[in-house]
Amino acid sequence: MTLNLCVLTPNRIVWDSEVKEIILSTNSGQIGVLPNHAPIATAVDIGILRIRLNDQWVTMALMGGFARIGNNKITILVNDAEKSSDIDPEEAKQTLEIAEANLS
Amino acid sequence: MAMAALRREGRRFATPLLSSPIRSSLISHSQEQAPNGVRSISTQVVRNRMKSVKNIQKITKAMKMVAASKLRAIQTRAENSRGLWQPFTALLGDSPSVNVKKSVIVTVSSDKGLCGGINSTSVKISRILHKLSSGPEKETKYVILGEKAKAQLIRDSKDDISLSITELQKNPLNYSQVSVLADDILKNVEFDALRIVFNKFHSVVQFMPTVSTVLSPEIVEREAEAGGKLGELDSYEIEGAETKGEVLQNLAEFQFSCILFNGVLENACSEQGARMSAMDSSSRNAGDMLDRLTLTYNRTRQASITTELIEIISGASALEG
Repeated sequence: MTLNLCVLTPNRIVWDSEVKEIILSTNSGQIGVLPNHAPIATAVDIGILRIRLNDQWVTMALMGGFARIGNNKITILVNDAEKSSDIDPEEAKQTLEIAEANLS
Repeated sequence: MAMAALRREGRRFATPLLSSPIRSSLISHSQEQAPNGVRSISTQVVRNRMKSVKNIQKITKAMKMVAASKLRAIQTRAENSRGLWQPFTALLGDSPSVNVKKSVIVTVSSDKGLCGGINSTSVKISRILHKLSSGPEKETKYVILGEKAKAQLIRDSKDDISLSITELQKNPLNYSQVSVLADDILKNVEFDALRIVFNKFHSVVQFMPTVSTVLSPEIVEREAEAGGKLGELDSYEIEGAETKGEVLQNLAEFQFSCILFNGVLENACSEQGARMSAMDSSSRNAGDMLDRLTLTYNRTRQASITTELIEIISGASALEG
């Protein structure tokens, strides 16, 4: 029994395949979802989504949205999502510094 | 016998016209009264018309190419955004015929013209919806996106327009811009149900006017109690510290911005597709017009040559005879 995960953003479908387990960051903390989870609908905070495929973890950054879990099917709708493999650490660090300078 | 006939013809033509052949050739280049009482257009005028029609044909052909390339760019984005509103419909169901007191019609249209009849169909559907959802206790308001619908609706429904937004496509369409717009609309307009009217892009020649319905959280609760698809919403446990009402509110706002984004993209696709086919038929029409004008030009040219020949021959035969 595997979960079917679908991560959608307004611009494209970021992920659509079967996974073993996910860890999702909601507004009340992180929840782990295994197959045969009870059906829930929850808001997703800006945070990290961890996906496990066969003992290998893939991480993704989500920019807030909604998640619906039911019948071994997870649908996550977010404003934007980026896979960790697509993120360049140097660029991210620079953007962080610019953002912090703008805040202060 | 032939010479005698020509002589007779020459005398018939020679008398109304001037005798000197040089002056008559000058006059044949401007508008003149032909002997039979038929006004003939000169070649210069026809040539000018042909030039302008050819220019128009070039312009419409270029506009068609531009629209085709823009369509290709935006089509992939529209298809990607289609998957976004399906989970909402799966969760909340789609109830277009819901009975509400305050409905707001969001009409999506284009800013530029020359795109066929898509804006008129959107406005027609909006007016029909307005009539359907107006009644003794109900009221309907318009929110207009795009210059063309605003121009049409401002004529007769000026009081019912609560918000109008133009120049959407100045920057390439992206979700953050549309979500800010959705935020604006939600803040300024009170509604029980939002109906978004746009042209869905099925193919390059087919655009169907579509209405998407977004219900406000209170109405969702009311319908959930009534049963049906929305009743399943209760089977989902709400995770998190929020109450069901707050979650429904967030969900409705997110749903509205997703559906609006999809609607705006589809309408942009339909606009480019409609412009492509309109410019194509216009180029073809210009080509037909050019063919007809060429025939007229040749006829006029031949008629003037014949007239000159007849004058010369009649003049010559008058000298001899």
